[in-house]
Amino acid sequence: MDASQLLKGVLDVAVLAVVRDADGYGYDVVRRLRTAGLEEVGDASVYGTLRRLYQAGALTSYVVPSDEGPHRKYYAINDRGRSVLDDSTKTWRTFADTVDALLDRKADVA
Amino acid sequence: MSAPSAPSRTRQAQDYLAAVEHELADLPAEDRGDLVEDLAMHLDALAAEDDDRDIAVRLGPPAVYAEELRAAAGLPARGAGGRSPAPGLRERIDGLVASEAFQRARPALRETRRLLVELRPAWWVLRGYLLVFVPSAVLGDHRDFPVPAPLGSHVLGVLLVAAAVVGSVHLGRRATAGQRPGRRLHLVTAGGGVLLALWGLALVSSGSVTGPEPVYGYDYATAAPEQAMGQYPLLNRYGPVTNVFPYAADGTPLEDVLLYDQDGRPLEVGFQEWWADGCYRVPVPPRAADGAPVEHAFPQAYELEPYATSTNGCLSEVPRPAVPLPVIPSDGAAEPTPMEPAPTEEPVKPVAPAPGD
Repeated sequence: MDASQLLKGVLDVAVLAVVRDADGYGYDVVRRLRTAGLEEVGDASVYGTLRRLYQAGALTSYVVPSDEGPHRKYYAINDRGRSVLDDSTKTWRTFADTVDALLDRKADVA
Repeated sequence: MSAPSAPSRTRQAQDYLAAVEHELADLPAEDRGDLVEDLAMHLDALAAEDDDRDIAVRLGPPAVYAEELRAAAGLPARGAGGRSPAPGLRERIDGLVASEAFQRARPALRETRRLLVELRPAWWVLRGYLLVFVPSAVLGDHRDFPVPAPLGSHVLGVLLVAAAVVGSVHLGRRATAGQRPGRRLHLVTAGGGVLLALWGLALVSSGSVTGPEPVYGYDYATAAPEQAMGQYPLLNRYGPVTNVFPYAADGTPLEDVLLYDQDGRPLEVGFQEWWADGCYRVPVPPRAADGAPVEHAFPQAYELEPYATSTNGCLSEVPRPAVPLPVIPSDGAAEPTPMEPAPTEEPVKPVAPAPGD
């Protein structure tokens, strides 16, 4: 199964979870997702998701100017984002348990 | 809004940025500006790394990057501009036919053709079966699969199938024996056969699926609603339910109606972020006495998001959708009091099973 297809469905929750741990700028979020094991995540998908979550009011953002390096736009989770993340976490757990149960059942029959 | 000017930004990075911006040209200036600004910072961050791979290798071609960005950001895919979403498809097919692999596959294709010729008798049998199955399935019940039941009789179905198969095989054998039944008749049988086969296939596939199933296939162009699926606890066959518009029996639109499901739980729907006019709105539920938002009050009230919609053309009040309301004949007693609060004390009696069940 192509993991990148699965990833698209859970990118919201993955991005929110990463930002909940600590505020992050776009590339930082990309790298943390990859370090966490989501190696196939695309830069554009993460930037797009961050923007959509920001527009949906689930994230706030602030720019940190820098003298030597590039400016960085940091994203931080807010209450709304936390409640979205909580809901999504529940949905994900239920979904994952359901699929796990299906797969295990198949293994028993075989 | 201005992207930080980085004198170190390479020519390559500038070209990439311009190419992506070009791909986003049809978006509102605000969306485009933000996305391009993010990418500019990203390119600067990449440039600071010790990696001399080409940017288009690291991020993918600009068009693909832009497409992915739009999908993930919940923005419409490009295509309204008339550009084909998959340019070069034709070239790719041409290339495939001309390719060495295809040429090598030629003998296999010839073998397949021979096999199909040998399978012809099986097709004659199937054709005869379909000749009975398709009409009876169309006129009757789709569940009569695999044995058709014209006029409700499976026996008649079996007899008709047998007769049709005999006739079909006879016709087929005559045709291969060289006794061509005339070009026109031949065309009719061939065309009719193909039509029957397709029709039968469509019937079986639609008949075996009992209802609208949730679609789990992933179309990148509709990535936004798919990704947001978790936010939509209520789905109907058309997709996520984001609002409910109640009406009284006499057609009066009702406001602030509290809805509960079969177990008495508040009915939850998702909220619609982006509206048809391209504007962003947030739901503003009424507050209970203790200040808690009452999210199951319908229809849901929406307000324009102040910071997201400085663009013009956004309506602050979106009218209810036009709906054809059924005319419910007034019963005299029940009808004139549609606005009376629901009698919550009334005991709910289990309904006695109907005698026919």
